[in-house]
Amino acid sequence: MGQNFYRYLFLFIILTPLNISSHNNEPHSIKGSSKADSMTQCVEPTEIMQKEHFVFLYHQRDNTVIDGIRTKQHSLANCIDCHVGYDEKGVAIPINSEGQFCQTCHVQTAVNIDCFSCHATVPRDKGMKRIKASDNNNHLSDKIKDITTYYHSNNHE
Amino acid sequence: MNKNNLTRRDFLIKSASLMTVVYIIPDLVSKTEAKPLDEKVSSKTKWAMNIDVDKCTKGCTACVEACIEENGLYGMDRPETDSQWIRKLTLKDIKTEKIVELPMLCQHCENPPCCDVCPTGASFRREDGIVMVNQHTCIGCRYCMMACPFKARSFVHENLTEQLTSAPRGKGCVESCNFCANRIDHGSDMTACEEACQKEGHKAITFGDLSNPKSRVNESLASKPSRRLRSDLKLKQRVTYSGI
Ligand code: HEC
Ligand code: HEC
Ligand code: HEC
Repeated sequence: MGQNFYRYLFLFIILTPLNISSHNNEPHSIKGSSKADSMTQCVEPTEIMQKEHFVFLYHQRDNTVIDGIRTKQHSLANCIDCHVGYDEKGVAIPINSEGQFCQTCHVQTAVNIDCFSCHATVPRDKGMKRIKASDNNNHLSDKIKDITTYYHSNNHE
Repeated sequence: MNKNNLTRRDFLIKSASLMTVVYIIPDLVSKTEAKPLDEKVSSKTKWAMNIDVDKCTKGCTACVEACIEENGLYGMDRPETDSQWIRKLTLKDIKTEKIVELPMLCQHCENPPCCDVCPTGASFRREDGIVMVNQHTCIGCRYCMMACPFKARSFVHENLTEQLTSAPRGKGCVESCNFCANRIDHGSDMTACEEACQKEGHKAITFGDLSNPKSRVNESLASKPSRRLRSDLKLKQRVTYSGI
């Protein structure tokens, strides 16, 4: 009896750090806060996306930069627009930050990508950088919807 | 009985009006059509810019500010190294002593020296004439910056945050004016700097497609003589200047 108690206590103690480290005040995205969370389909079948999303991105990258093709389907800006999560205040959480969409799988599989040293990690349009969480703007989430990105306002599809 | 009572005069008037409606009116409306998003850019479009130095106003930096806003080019308050895609220069003609201010930006050469020296092919000229950096293959060697006679390029020295979705940029790469490629590809025929210059009422900057006879750039080229800077280098820039 006593031995079992110490066994459980021991397990509890060694597992505690895991318990704490997952709540270290990082902004957590609310489940269901991204556009993708309320949808059922990615831009390609899910199994293909899981394995080959970077192939689409690499193609799109050259098509866009070299040939000026601006389709939305495989656009990185568009992935972010749909997959980015929002916190309680309606502020977008960087998509490559801990626990976010473009980060979790990559940590598990030891993939390192440098895309986000250049590419915006949240939808950010001209003039948008002035709006910050600290502005404590009640209508922030409306604004995010309004301004979203260039890609919506200028989309002629 | 005879319904065909159209006089010769009526016939001529009516057919002339019909011709006007069908052929002439659509022609007057500017013809540059936006390229569909899924189509490649082609050499049928020839983007170019003419800058009328006489209309460029001393002390006005509307174009520079608009460029910063459009491309999210906020700096670190270090003027020596902060990125500049367009900047104002003051020039003095040695012979006439005439002092002019003009905006200097990538001149979008048809024979671009930056592309000649680039070891990875990252500096390239797009089919429609826009000279730019493919940041995915740029290794940051900065040969292009040395090759450019106009000092039109900048290097990003520091980690950046808060980039715009429409204008990715980051440390370790060279960057420069790309004639607002993203905007243009999404159907606009006006760069941010031209728009700002028009809003200020100066209309010094005119942009457009050389293949479209009615484009603003062609109109301004037709109305006033223009020249390329350092034409002795035979770079065939697509940016030209009037009034110098
Ligand atoms: C050094 C900066 C830099 C890095 C790093 C970078 N990009 Fe880009 N990327 C750019 C620039 C600049 C453009 C051109 C933007 C334009 O013209 O709209 C671009 C455009 C793109 C586009 C087309 C535009 C879009 O949103 O769909 C894709 C796709 C893309 N990059 C994917 C990637 C991927 C994937 C990575 C990481 C493996 C990456 N990029 C890393 C700078 C960078
Ligand atoms: C319009 C919204 C939308 C866009 C745009 C979008 N996705 Fe998705 N994506 C989804 C949805 C919804 C799912 C979940 C599908 C499911 O549950 O089967 C998903 C699933 C995925 C998955 C699998 C995730 C998992 O946990 O199995 C990956 C990887 C992915 N997307 C990557 C991308 C990339 C990369 C892009 C940009 C090229 C992109 N997505 C663009 C909506 C989108
Ligand atoms: C379902 C898990 C998952 C999600 C979600 C996911 N990735 Fe990946 N990603 C992977 C895996 C696994 C690999 C490695 C695949 C391989 O090497 O075969 C990878 C590789 C990549 C690569 C290529 C890296 C290289 O070294 O060539 C890029 C670029 C990339 N992902 C971008 C993204 C972006 C951008 C997002 C967010 C929109 C994203 N990924 C979301 C699992 C994911």
